[in-house]
Amino acid sequence: MNSLMSRPNPKQKFALQSIALLTLGVVSLLVWNVLKKTYLSDVQVSSVARVSDPVPNLLGDIYFFLSISFLGVLLGITCAFYLEEWLPETNWVRCLIEGQVSILSGVPSLLYGLLVVTVFLPYSGAFQRTQGFPPAGDLNTASLQVSSFQGDTTLFYIAVLTFVLLVVPRVIKATQEALRSVPIPMRESAYALGANRWQVLTKHVVPLSLPRVIAGACRAMSCALAVSALFIGIYISGYTIQPGRMSGRFALFLGAALVLSIFSSFLSQRYPLASTRHT
Amino acid sequence: MKTEKGQPILNIRNLNIWYGDKGILSSLSFEVQEKQVTAFIGPANCGKSTLVRCFNRLNDFTPNFKFTGEILFKGSSLYAEQDATTVRKQIGMVFRRPTLFRGSIHENVAYAARISNVSRTSELNAIVEKNLRRTGLWNEVEGILDETPVQLSTGQQQLLCVARALAAEPEVLIFDEPCGELDPIETVKIETLMRELANDCTLIFATNKRRQAARVSDVAGFLYGGELIEFGATEKIFTNPQDSRTEQYVTGRMG
Repeated sequence: MNSLMSRPNPKQKFALQSIALLTLGVVSLLVWNVLKKTYLSDVQVSSVARVSDPVPNLLGDIYFFLSISFLGVLLGITCAFYLEEWLPETNWVRCLIEGQVSILSGVPSLLYGLLVVTVFLPYSGAFQRTQGFPPAGDLNTASLQVSSFQGDTTLFYIAVLTFVLLVVPRVIKATQEALRSVPIPMRESAYALGANRWQVLTKHVVPLSLPRVIAGACRAMSCALAVSALFIGIYISGYTIQPGRMSGRFALFLGAALVLSIFSSFLSQRYPLASTRHT
Repeated sequence: MKTEKGQPILNIRNLNIWYGDKGILSSLSFEVQEKQVTAFIGPANCGKSTLVRCFNRLNDFTPNFKFTGEILFKGSSLYAEQDATTVRKQIGMVFRRPTLFRGSIHENVAYAARISNVSRTSELNAIVEKNLRRTGLWNEVEGILDETPVQLSTGQQQLLCVARALAAEPEVLIFDEPCGELDPIETVKIETLMRELANDCTLIFATNKRRQAARVSDVAGFLYGGELIEFGATEKIFTNPQDSRTEQYVTGRMG
């Protein structure tokens, strides 16, 4: 890239800084909005601690991690291969996805929790079925059903979806790094012998990058494991809180955040902090 | 392979190359004769590698690579009329640093045959033996064909790379500073090999060692600042150069 060393001039720097501040403001407003709506007004937080059967919970966990590793890791790896091996460097799709990936992989897990509470739960219909806080006696049964994946599975799907969102950007990043670590002379030597793209990919790039890809996927999964407290949050909140549908103002904030993130992903492509590109 | 010595196999007409907005080579026109060693000499960053990488279309992968002009390979346009993969099978390349593939010595040499769907063991063995013998490496590696090539010395690794490139049966073989990482004795081996290979294959050779070019090549071109200053018989370039810059370079007063 020829813009390797170009730094933004004062004007552009001011623009970038104001965008950063604006984003921060939007995020804090979002957080405040959600907190006010859920925890500060009419909250009934469950303080009932119950011992549930370990076997269905364990099965639920295994099923859960199988689902996210299958969906998230597979999606992440294919996406990274597509970005790195097929799209040219100046492609706008690549620019957009890479920007979003950088943003998403830096998002703290709390915000994913907020996403669940404000978007997934109200619109998934989970409340209609569970009818808010269940009678004390039913909580155990409900947990059994969700964990063993037999009864109402909406909460399970919500959790899987959230964790896929959490895992995918990290897997994409790790896989991209792994693909970039394959030495260029290796690729060139193979091409120079008349190998086509597919042969170079299957005989050289995949075997050479596989250890790093697997390590990256494991790291992403363990990262998901580390924030699985969030899962408890989702799970409990499905029974304890009943946020309403999004207000117009809230939707506006969400849209603004989306637009800003897309805008900033193009900006970060234009003014990279450091080059991660080969040649 | 059928034509006689002295016929042009590559025809370069008015070639200009840019990386983005930066001009690398400007208005190059010359012919590469069949079964001769054509050397390109010049100081670092003068565009030697860029030029030789054009012939097997390796520059296709460089972002921002642009060119105008024509490169004709046996009469047909290398870029417009031919498929890159087919071109690279006919025009092989040996790089500065030996790059070893995963797997054994046997697998390395048999690589080109394998990707062209040769799978019979006897055929593969014959190809491996023939090309290792051609490079003079056979006696040294005969017993360790199924072992990793990492244990070989750098010079042997480079010879292995030559054998691997030869196994694709190329008509033209490009050497991009093949001795850049080698010691003098290994260099002599490669140079001798190149002279032998010129009997049945066209060689293109980029180097910044003047004496090496003088020893090995039949035809030489002096590249400087992206221009082909002089192109002609090696003898003439080194003993009676027409341009003062060429004279300065070959006598060691410049570069």
